[in-house]
Amino acid sequence: MTRPPGRRAALTGAAAGALVVAALALPWLASGYWVRVLSGVFMFGALAQSLNVIVGFTGYADFGNVVFFGLGAYTTAALMTKAGWAFGPSWVLGGCLAAAAAGLLGLPLLRLRGHYFAIATIGVLEAVREITSNVAFFGGGMGITLPVFAGPPEVFYRTIYYLLLVVLVAFTGLAWWLARSRFGYALRAIKADEEAAAVMGVHTTRYKVLAWALSALCTGLVGGIYAYWLTYIEPPFVFDILISVKYWIMMLLGGAGTVLGPLAGAIILESLSVAIWGQFLRGHMLVLGLVISLVILFMPTGFMDLVRLRFSPAAVVDNLRRNRI
Amino acid sequence: MDLQSLVNGILLGGVYACVGIGFSLVWGVTNVINLAHGAMITLGAYVTFWAYQGLGLDPFLSIPLAMLAMGALGYGIQRYLVNLVVRTGVFMTLILTFGVQLVLIDTALFLFSGDYRAVTPSYGGAGLDLGAVVVPYVRLAIFGIGLLLTFVLHLFMTRTRTGNAIRATALNRDAAQLVGVDIGRIYAVTFAIGGALAGAAGALLSTLYTITPVMGQPLLGKAFVIACLGGLGTMWGSLIGGLILGLAETVGAVTIGPAYQQALSFGLLVVILVVRPEGIVGQKFFAEVK
Repeated sequence: MTRPPGRRAALTGAAAGALVVAALALPWLASGYWVRVLSGVFMFGALAQSLNVIVGFTGYADFGNVVFFGLGAYTTAALMTKAGWAFGPSWVLGGCLAAAAAGLLGLPLLRLRGHYFAIATIGVLEAVREITSNVAFFGGGMGITLPVFAGPPEVFYRTIYYLLLVVLVAFTGLAWWLARSRFGYALRAIKADEEAAAVMGVHTTRYKVLAWALSALCTGLVGGIYAYWLTYIEPPFVFDILISVKYWIMMLLGGAGTVLGPLAGAIILESLSVAIWGQFLRGHMLVLGLVISLVILFMPTGFMDLVRLRFSPAAVVDNLRRNRI
Repeated sequence: MDLQSLVNGILLGGVYACVGIGFSLVWGVTNVINLAHGAMITLGAYVTFWAYQGLGLDPFLSIPLAMLAMGALGYGIQRYLVNLVVRTGVFMTLILTFGVQLVLIDTALFLFSGDYRAVTPSYGGAGLDLGAVVVPYVRLAIFGIGLLLTFVLHLFMTRTRTGNAIRATALNRDAAQLVGVDIGRIYAVTFAIGGALAGAAGALLSTLYTITPVMGQPLLGKAFVIACLGGLGTMWGSLIGGLILGLAETVGAVTIGPAYQQALSFGLLVVILVVRPEGIVGQKFFAEVK
């Protein structure tokens, strides 16, 4: 069943428009609980999209990506409390600092391939986390309490909700641009075969460092919003590798290197874990673990790949046959 | 820097070698990053605890029991779960083992509760007094068993037919299959050995640390460092990696202060990776990018 391309694009556009309108209207219609749950979905969707830039498009497995989340959160918090800046400029500078850190680290680390890059990023994460816990300026192990939002709490939570929605839409737009632009094409060439890309004239180092800095900028911006949202942060919270495990899973579940995959993954996993948390007070980790295992077994190539195959059972069986040993 | 911290560092290195060796083997041979390794260490410790509590078995005598139990579990996980998606690449199997880890930890929490437990043999606090330094017997024994396990694994991998098949599979999966190696079985056997080594590590650690369902989590991070420092999939690499990490942590705690212990060991890891990415005793063709 093929539709004319014009009609299909119009349908997709209409569906996306309807979703955005629904998301915009929601805080005025639904309870605070749903605003909070959806804010979480948006946050993880935005993080999964940030990760997608370096992992999905460029093919560099950044396990320690959450370090930029923490840097963004800490810079925002420190500027607001120590320098008395407003949220806006602190937030932007937090993102920029995360990007600068990635740029500097990228020069030595992006020379590493495959697993080695992955492990090096974990090393950086653990080292930065411990240094942050010990530096008195960052509140040390005590953490930092941010200035409280002046205004009623509903307005604050609505602001956070819209802020997260805006970054999610912006980062999804970024993925859409990467899937089409010359820059994104260079990144995908590096993922496919770095030597071949270099031979074809792609300045691989420059593109890899730029991709990592871009990914870090996005992650850092989300971290800044998170710090403001929580109003209290400490190193074990924002440099927690389990946060990155979560959005790694979301990106892979949806489909790495696709435009909508990370978003789909965030919606699927976050709704599942909210539902499971509500249903199973004991043993929710067990159920979540089982669900993750089953999902990997039945869609090992990601959700977007299943969409591409139009959910045909034959394709699922074929997938299972091809990936076993 | 005194002699005692040097001795402590070396002995801690022996503990770390036991933690890293199974993880490194599985990663190097099957290209599966087993995030359930920490949970398997935990379960191994529980086997020892229950054998000690229920049967009055000495923790060192229950090592074979823990190895057997975790080896069987490892075989099952690889054969009936990971093997089904192993061709999708390293990240999907990573997430699968993350799911397995959640199940194992929660099951442990469900069955054994979150209570802190300990194995306390009568000789627990005793040590060999050499005047300037004291060498705790338990840590010395752990170091010795770590050496022994490494040596036995080395013999197995180089002298037996199965060991050779495992090494051939690590070098080139498809070529190994072409010459008649049943790679599905080899993967399962490798994971079983990795599980057995995790079980042994758990049994050994039960004499040093408090046993809880989450005791294995910090060890997983260490296993990463140890495996990469030494070189993936090499038999002696974990021993070297464990020793370096143990010494770095102990010496770092004395010279810079205990607050920066992790920063130092992970900083060291990053430097090693940049300078010598195949690990200190790593070889070409082992655990190359696949």
